[in-house]
Amino acid sequence: MPNISIEVGVSSNLHPPTTDLAVSAHGMRKVYHTRGHPAVEALRGLDLTVKRGERVALLGRNGAGKTTFLKIASTLLLPTAGTLEIFGLDAVKRPEEVRPLIAVVPQEGHPFYHLTPWEQVYTYLRSRGFPRDVARDRTESALKDMGIFDIRSQLNVTLSGGQQQRTMVATVLATEAPLLFLDEPTLGMDPFARRGVWAALRKLTDRGSTILLTTHYLDEAESLSQRVYIVEHGHVVAEGTADELKRRVGGTVRVTMPEAGAHPADYESFGRIMAGDGVLHVITEPRRVSEILNLALSRGISPTVGPVTLEEAFLQLVGRAIEEDAR
Amino acid sequence: MLGDSRPAWHGLWAFAATEARVQLHEYLSIASTVLVQVIFIFFVWLLAPPYLLPFALVGSMVFSAFVIGERVLNEAAYIRIDHKLNELYHASPLSPESYFLGMGIGVLTAYLPTLVFIGLLTEAVHPLSLAAGGLLLLVLIGVWLIASSLGYILSTLFRDMRAIWPYSTLLFNFFGVLPPVFYPLGLFPGWLAPLALVLPPSAGAALLMYVIGLESLSGGQVILAATALIIETLLLSVAAVFWSRRTSREGA
Repeated sequence: MPNISIEVGVSSNLHPPTTDLAVSAHGMRKVYHTRGHPAVEALRGLDLTVKRGERVALLGRNGAGKTTFLKIASTLLLPTAGTLEIFGLDAVKRPEEVRPLIAVVPQEGHPFYHLTPWEQVYTYLRSRGFPRDVARDRTESALKDMGIFDIRSQLNVTLSGGQQQRTMVATVLATEAPLLFLDEPTLGMDPFARRGVWAALRKLTDRGSTILLTTHYLDEAESLSQRVYIVEHGHVVAEGTADELKRRVGGTVRVTMPEAGAHPADYESFGRIMAGDGVLHVITEPRRVSEILNLALSRGISPTVGPVTLEEAFLQLVGRAIEEDAR
Repeated sequence: MLGDSRPAWHGLWAFAATEARVQLHEYLSIASTVLVQVIFIFFVWLLAPPYLLPFALVGSMVFSAFVIGERVLNEAAYIRIDHKLNELYHASPLSPESYFLGMGIGVLTAYLPTLVFIGLLTEAVHPLSLAAGGLLLLVLIGVWLIASSLGYILSTLFRDMRAIWPYSTLLFNFFGVLPPVFYPLGLFPGWLAPLALVLPPSAGAALLMYVIGLESLSGGQVILAATALIIETLLLSVAAVFWSRRTSREGA
């Protein structure tokens, strides 16, 4: 079993991880009780595992339970029921043993407005117990990775929303904690900055860290994560690699044509038909594409061809789950 | 729920330094805390009989230590509600009690210029003996700990900053200004004197005024004020440590 090196500060007394699973959650339930309001069941028996060194994305609609699970997994919220182990440690009963092993980018968090990005990252590392020289090196490296080294001395309050978010991500990535929870880490970032975050996250997992993130950017989930969990109504409705989930839609290629003049019945034998917004999609396998193109062109229709995206798979899988719940 | 019940102070000084940096970047806020006290003392000097000036100076120091609680309340709530930084720090090796006390120490740095300046003015107006100076320090530490603990505990009960501001201002000004903190205990209604001697800011002020010879208290009153201050300091500090652990995880 490979062992990982954990540097969390000079004074931490850690139990060494004893399992290949970074996160192992079973039957997680969370019911919120608010006075004067009906109870809300945010998690309904969620099962999820993340292997050590993996990058896993948790996808779902707003209110599906992603953030609730992330808060429970990062010891910030007590579950109503279920078991949760982080590196084999009981995160429900012994959060203080888990906390040195994790770091969290909170959803819509902001750095201290009256610190600079340098101070934000450096002081956070110091409060986690890193020696000055290590904290200094890691701060510099994290700020460079996030592309904010040049603005390291400006107060955070003067930075744009995206730059502040990069400061938050830099703060957490600099810890190189064995397990990182990132709740919508690239929210508000431009495409260049997002790719910078992806690269930094890949670098971290190459070094042995494990990452569980939530995102509403499905291209991000597809590009970054090795596995995806789709959550709806507090439980997992699909799990697998992005390609595996896309195959569950009925094919890996999408042929799109204007709905006007195209009769869905003509294309049903080629795969799954999806219509809407004035276009008709035929989800099919690559070997059937030429037949569809020939048929469409023979009827004066000009189709376009592209890969099925994770977004389409997500819409399909969540849509099915919503229909099943409605029944 | 958090295992070992003894406080673990991992990361205390590093987090205190973080919070101190945050405070020190707010130059105007520090300047205003000094200025408010100086203006108040100026009016006392201008309008009140001269014998009240030392009372106002001692009271100003005690009040400054007490009103730190208001800043801790606002700061702890602000970085939890608006910034979610409590999540960053709680999901880390930094212990919850270090987070609470570090914040108290950090905010204290913003009030040090006021405390030192008023302390020097007091020394100039009414020189303190070594024993009085020592007691002054102890009382200020006690009042600061009480106020910080109270501020931190209360901060966890709110979900909206707008709801906090009026409560925090009212609470800390009501107990920090209304009782005999800036004026002699004798000017306070006699039947309320025992209450003044158990409220932290007025108990601290009464003790200090007694030791530096401004106030004459009976032996019973001295014991009451000292006991109240010691017990309140211990109880609220322990309560804040316990509460900081409990609230480091929602639903605990």
